[in-house]
Amino acid sequence: MNQSQLQDSLGLTKAIIASSTAPVLLLDGKLSVIAASASFSDAFMIDATAIATKTFSELGDGEWSGAQLSALLEATAAGMADVQGYEMDLKRSGQPTRRVVISAQKLDYSDASDVRLLLTIADVTDARIADKVKAGLLQDNAILLQEVQHRVANSLQIIASILLQSARKVQSEETRTHLRSAHSRVMSIAAVQQQLAASSDHDVELRSYFEQLCKSLGASMISDPDKLSISVNVDKTVTNANISISLGLVVTELVINALKHAFPNERSGTITVDYHSDKNDWTLVVSDDGVGMPEDANAAIPGLGTGIVEALSRNLQAVIAVSDAKPGTRITICHRDDAEIDDTLEAA
Amino acid sequence: MDNQRISVLVVEDEVLIRMSMVDELEDAGFTVFVASNADQAIEMLIANSAIEVMFTDVDMPGGIDGLKLAASVRDRWPPIKIIVTSGHRQIDVKALPVEARFVIKPYDPMAIIRSIREMTAN
Repeated sequence: MNQSQLQDSLGLTKAIIASSTAPVLLLDGKLSVIAASASFSDAFMIDATAIATKTFSELGDGEWSGAQLSALLEATAAGMADVQGYEMDLKRSGQPTRRVVISAQKLDYSDASDVRLLLTIADVTDARIADKVKAGLLQDNAILLQEVQHRVANSLQIIASILLQSARKVQSEETRTHLRSAHSRVMSIAAVQQQLAASSDHDVELRSYFEQLCKSLGASMISDPDKLSISVNVDKTVTNANISISLGLVVTELVINALKHAFPNERSGTITVDYHSDKNDWTLVVSDDGVGMPEDANAAIPGLGTGIVEALSRNLQAVIAVSDAKPGTRITICHRDDAEIDDTLEAA
Repeated sequence: MDNQRISVLVVEDEVLIRMSMVDELEDAGFTVFVASNADQAIEMLIANSAIEVMFTDVDMPGGIDGLKLAASVRDRWPPIKIIVTSGHRQIDVKALPVEARFVIKPYDPMAIIRSIREMTAN
């Protein structure tokens, strides 16, 4: 680069600096100010006309003259260091202290005779306050969420207790069964609540949820674990809270149903809960190796459970199929994405 | 049933939960004592040396919570088996005595009964 090119280049640099909206300074090798952006003068209340002849540490009332910063800038000018994100408190009499972040780099002209340092100064005071407020809010939020989860858990425990107490008090065996089923439904929703509390986002891992659910169903509904068991076979599907609650309630109903009807007279056996998905398609199968469906299909009285399963399946846009598992009964709840499209076409 | 000889102390400030738990435990064949806070629990333990298991909620009104109660019971009556429950997931498990069990609320009484049987089985 010859002398005139160098001058052009310096002129261009000065022009860019002058118009920069971010506070910027151009210093020479002795840390004297060559150019300053208007934004620098404005932001730090330094008389623009008084800047040009001063060194960096003489600016203002000397608030920029830190020994450590000066040493760093000299090292940068000598090409021995770069200042990146140097933070300091800018203290001026009669002014609130501002937190600033300074970065400096040596501009690389091919002619080494004129050292140029480019300094950028960012006032991060407001950003830091905002960060602090945000962190505080996030923490408050987390505490509130924990408190809410705690209260929900406690309320569910009270509801579950009332249902069990009521089941104990009623005379009719049928009503008792209904109340115990209601207790299981509450515990089923509670299990989702626990899964949600354990996950950082609002998704539920179906396998651990169904495992927990079936463990709790088994604990409350199976009197002899040596005779009856529930086996859970679920892939790695993760779903959102609403779908999980629906699926969980369907599983609850179907398992309760199998426990009630499939194993009369202390018959032993296994109930299997199987869920597998392929992209957006999924299939939930609850099967048992019990006595199977009654010959006369009309003999089966539709109870609350059947209604819940039908309504939830419709909601999940899934189709229910009942088949003979030989031995036992298999209920398949199947969702196909293309079936949903057909549905919309028909509707249109 | 051999449960008849096992005495359980239920510490729970919520009366509906406490009542239900007492009935379930009595049905399962346990002798049940109740307390609605930590101070009452300590009184019960002093008065009834037969108590083998304490089932306590963590969150209770009054000075001592269930965790501190569990710790002091462990110090004073080391043989007593302890089951602690709470709706809070973030329980400082380290604050619990080593052999104590933690059960998250809402729990099924059957699960507590099973835990008591396991912990008292010799």
